Amino acid sequence: MDFISPEGLRLDGRRPFELRQLHAEIGVLDNADGSATFEMGNTKVIAVVYGPREVQNRSQQQLDHALVRCEYSMATFSTGDRRRRGKGDRRGTELSLVIRQTMEAAILTNLLPRSQIDIFVQVLQADGGTRACCINAAALALADAGIPMRDLVASCSAGYLNSTPLLDLNYLEDSGGGPDLTVALFSKLDKVTLLQMDAKVPLDVFEKVMNLASEGAKAVTQFLREILMENTKKLAFAKEPLKV
Amino acid sequence: MVVGLGLSSAEKSYIAGGIAVDLRGDGRGRHHFRDFSIDTSIIPQANGSARLRLGGTDVIASVKAELCAPPPGRPHHGKLEINVECSPTAAPEFEGRGGEELSMDLSRALQRSFLGGASGAGAAIDLASLVVLEGKLCWMLYFDGLVLSSDGNLLDALSIAMKAALSNCGLPKVEITSGTNPEDDADFELNEEEFTPVDTSRFPVIVTLTKVGKHYIVDATAEEESQMTAAVSVAVNKKGSICGLTKRGGTGLDPSVLLDMISVAKRVSQTLITSIDAEISAAESRHDDQ
Repeated sequence: MDFISPEGLRLDGRRPFELRQLHAEIGVLDNADGSATFEMGNTKVIAVVYGPREVQNRSQQQLDHALVRCEYSMATFSTGDRRRRGKGDRRGTELSLVIRQTMEAAILTNLLPRSQIDIFVQVLQADGGTRACCINAAALALADAGIPMRDLVASCSAGYLNSTPLLDLNYLEDSGGGPDLTVALFSKLDKVTLLQMDAKVPLDVFEKVMNLASEGAKAVTQFLREILMENTKKLAFAKEPLKV
Repeated sequence: MVVGLGLSSAEKSYIAGGIAVDLRGDGRGRHHFRDFSIDTSIIPQANGSARLRLGGTDVIASVKAELCAPPPGRPHHGKLEINVECSPTAAPEFEGRGGEELSMDLSRALQRSFLGGASGAGAAIDLASLVVLEGKLCWMLYFDGLVLSSDGNLLDALSIAMKAALSNCGLPKVEITSGTNPEDDADFELNEEEFTPVDTSRFPVIVTLTKVGKHYIVDATAEEESQMTAAVSVAVNKKGSICGLTKRGGTGLDPSVLLDMISVAKRVSQTLITSIDAEISAAESRHDDQ
């Protein structure tokens, strides 16, 4: 299958180094401490944060740092063909773990001892790149909840099809058989916090794909910062008239 | 339904007292619904979808259509399936298997009101309209509800969202290419350009009356639900016929009170259906403009 047309365009009309349309919203649910939706093209994820709050299960309480928990779930209608995903399937459990570890690295857990932070990620629509989308949504939700973080974490995926590195794969490209590399970055600290790839590639190709994904993640960071700034301005504006 | 609201006894008596004098905490009377807003076509991958926000309650409903063989013994019928899931985003208690019990409770109540018994005679949709080729091919409609945020009255919210999702739903046109003989299997082509809407005029809405103290209220919030002694959910369609009933809660109800509650539900539902229809058409025209 040709993933790139002779004109150099991909199946959805993007150029190889182009991200999908990004869209984010902060504070989408009222009763949570922090919430955000993040969309990359047709992939849409909502992340919700409860906490920091008292540890629910006393035996899990940590005396020197916060307990971070994460649950990932997919809506039945999120995939192309409708299917029921039982809770706790292998993919879901692995993703919960990946998101938890990535966010745990970002949160200054030592500032919040004996407390618990719950992150719930719900996929509303899946069209490739759910992993990256979940991490971006979770980062925004944590920021909305006012939880102290080392740096803003942002994630992006990249792949390699028809001998071309491609940024931010959609579902069709993801199932194209090439490698799918997801990377999450702390852009200010310039550190990689998550790196996953699932296929066999030569080292020089890996380097190209890895660089592309990192560039993508940096672009996403920029976008996240803009969204957070906009939200903060809105909050500051809302607060202003109260001053007499 | 939601545990751990942590209400003080003063708050509890405030809720009960407000209901007794027909002025609730948010300024509503006993039989007033909260304002709601509907968004349609939010899940492009589904045939129809809608998101409903009713106060702090936030639910998504989607309708997916698949072609399949009609149910055994009923060649003139299509199929419906209804499922609800409670996302942990609504409350941390729904984590893991925590939301399963409530999901099952809500699914069953919706099925009771929309599926119309074993024969499908009183179903929310005319099942015969889902038949494509008699005895061989019919549409199966999957209704999926997802609770994103919960501030009481989930059942009514889900029924409204499902009605909106169904009126947003278009079934692709099916062209039968062969297999019109009784013996052959049907061959067909899907025309993804032309869509036929589904008739929603029979689709009921559910009105839940929650009994707090001596009185009963419509569209209870989570705080009010925590003080309930019993609740009756009545599904009513546009014509005013009762399509399903569910009673919940630990306390028994006097039969005369029950009849009274049903007539109130019927009255409330008629104004509710009008405002739902207005909201749905507003959402659809908003969507067309974009």
